[in-house]
Amino acid sequence: MSHAGTSGESPPAARRRRARPPQPQERAAREEAAEAAHEEAAEEEAAGERLRQLSIGDGDDDDREHNRMIRSQYRELISTVQQNREAMLNSKSNRLTEALEEANRLFDGVCRAREAALDAHFLVIASNIGKEKASELHSEMSAFDSTAFAEDLLTFMGINRTEVEETDESEDIPGGFLPTGAWQTIGEEAPKYFRRAPTFHYMMGSFKSEPPVPKQRIERQRKASRRKAERAMPAQLKKMEESHQEATEKEVERILRILQTHFEDDPNTPISFFDFVIDPNSFARTVENVFHVSFLTRDGLAKIKLDEDELPIIEPIKPSEGGEEEDSRAGARNQVVISLNQKEWKEIIETFQIREAMITPPYQATEEEMETE
Amino acid sequence: MSQRKRSKGLGCSQLPDGEDDFIPTQVERRSPEQLNQKVSELVQFLLVKDQKKIPIKRADILKNIIREYKDAYSEIIKRADRTLQEVFGLQLVEIDAKRHIYILINNLPCAQGELLCRGKEQEKMGLLLVILSFIFMKGNSVKDSALWEFLHLLRVYPGKQHGVFGDVRKLVTEEFVRQKYLETTAIPLTDPPEFKYQWGPRAEKETSKKDVLNFVAKMQGKDPKFWASQYSEANKATT
Repeated sequence: MSHAGTSGESPPAARRRRARPPQPQERAAREEAAEAAHEEAAEEEAAGERLRQLSIGDGDDDDREHNRMIRSQYRELISTVQQNREAMLNSKSNRLTEALEEANRLFDGVCRAREAALDAHFLVIASNIGKEKASELHSEMSAFDSTAFAEDLLTFMGINRTEVEETDESEDIPGGFLPTGAWQTIGEEAPKYFRRAPTFHYMMGSFKSEPPVPKQRIERQRKASRRKAERAMPAQLKKMEESHQEATEKEVERILRILQTHFEDDPNTPISFFDFVIDPNSFARTVENVFHVSFLTRDGLAKIKLDEDELPIIEPIKPSEGGEEEDSRAGARNQVVISLNQKEWKEIIETFQIREAMITPPYQATEEEMETE
Repeated sequence: MSQRKRSKGLGCSQLPDGEDDFIPTQVERRSPEQLNQKVSELVQFLLVKDQKKIPIKRADILKNIIREYKDAYSEIIKRADRTLQEVFGLQLVEIDAKRHIYILINNLPCAQGELLCRGKEQEKMGLLLVILSFIFMKGNSVKDSALWEFLHLLRVYPGKQHGVFGDVRKLVTEEFVRQKYLETTAIPLTDPPEFKYQWGPRAEKETSKKDVLNFVAKMQGKDPKFWASQYSEANKATT
């Protein structure tokens, strides 16, 4: 810096740079570049001074200035190209070609590696842009006017163009007023073009993984009040239950009598369980029969066992026989679950050729009573 | 050790042998009821995972559902896909064969007047369709600056909060990309770095160039053949 002071005049290149009005985007960059160049220039001046003292000709000074100019022009060219990339890519613009020609011209004045390096840097950028331009041509897409497309979309969305432009933004945006449901309109059209899987949601929401603690207290309170409520209604409830129980008991007794009657006719042949309970005319009644027979076995009034063919048979138990009391007790401890669906029911009817029900259907009146649960 | 041999025998893709605990023999593990149970669990898992439309990773499936049934993985996946197709009309598609990522798509053509997605979702799909159309018509790849310039025309700005979409930039660059509707790659040697957008694998599966061209044609009131090269490209790719 002191050397610059002694030289008495600021280097012409730096002065020229300061004089040029700096563009807003690159002011900082320019200032930096200017400072760097200033320092550079200062150093060069110092070197120049020394060389001058070594009595080399004036041509070097001009050379140095010339090189500085070239460098600054290259830098400017590079930044211009980078800033205006979009404009350069426009297929209708020749600006890239112009920039290349400018660089060509500058290159004529280049004689040192330093400036050539800048030229190479510029070439890299320019060729990138060139490649992009080429790829845009290469795609061979028919001309697609995106602006027109946008306009048509806005129309579809229901834009109201009667309003004059109230644009405070750039001039690219056309005037007009988009209604609130604009995107909803497109949204209704869009799903037709997608094979999008509808999302899965639980209708009633999902439950939380941790059991909620405070709820237990509420439950206890509820249970207490429930009991009280039940107590308040015994009179009514009992009546219904009794009639229900009575009907069942009556039915069970009736079935027992049927069983005993059949057995009396032929005491030595036990009755096939299926023959006994199945009603070929009604699946529902078959199930009821099985239900009622289960009471008989539970109360030790009948027993079910398997015969030689592993088919179940049923026979009544005479309660007076002492020897069989043990059996009945042992029998009472066995639990069997019988399952029967319609298909199996039909198969059994086919297999055993069951034509009529051994347990005659109860009277119509009783049936209706039982069905009013 | 023996488990690795078993996997090869089944011909399924290579499974990670990460945590190889002691695994009981095949016979004990693969009763039909147990397999059915796993298939059902997987179907439910996939349906729930698909809610956000973020692709499902095989690692998640293995960790949460398959667990010790690793050797039956391909069988379970195949059957889950069949269930999804036969019961729900959906399809399980692998969009990344290397990283094993799956999505669910609709197997049935979208019938007219069906409201399968709700308001907010529909609006996003509208925006997505517009973006996908733009990308296709412009040659399958656009720069982000070009895309935003186009969206400007529709009153959608990256810097401004949008009345319907909120943070649009986030929606486009993050949500749509995560859902694999869009794919973004950096353009080399650009400063500041620029990106280009293309169709993502989900878009490739859920819609087609032909559908999108039809949309553009409908909007502009023209025949799709008006754009000759796009039309021929759209008809070429009929997968």
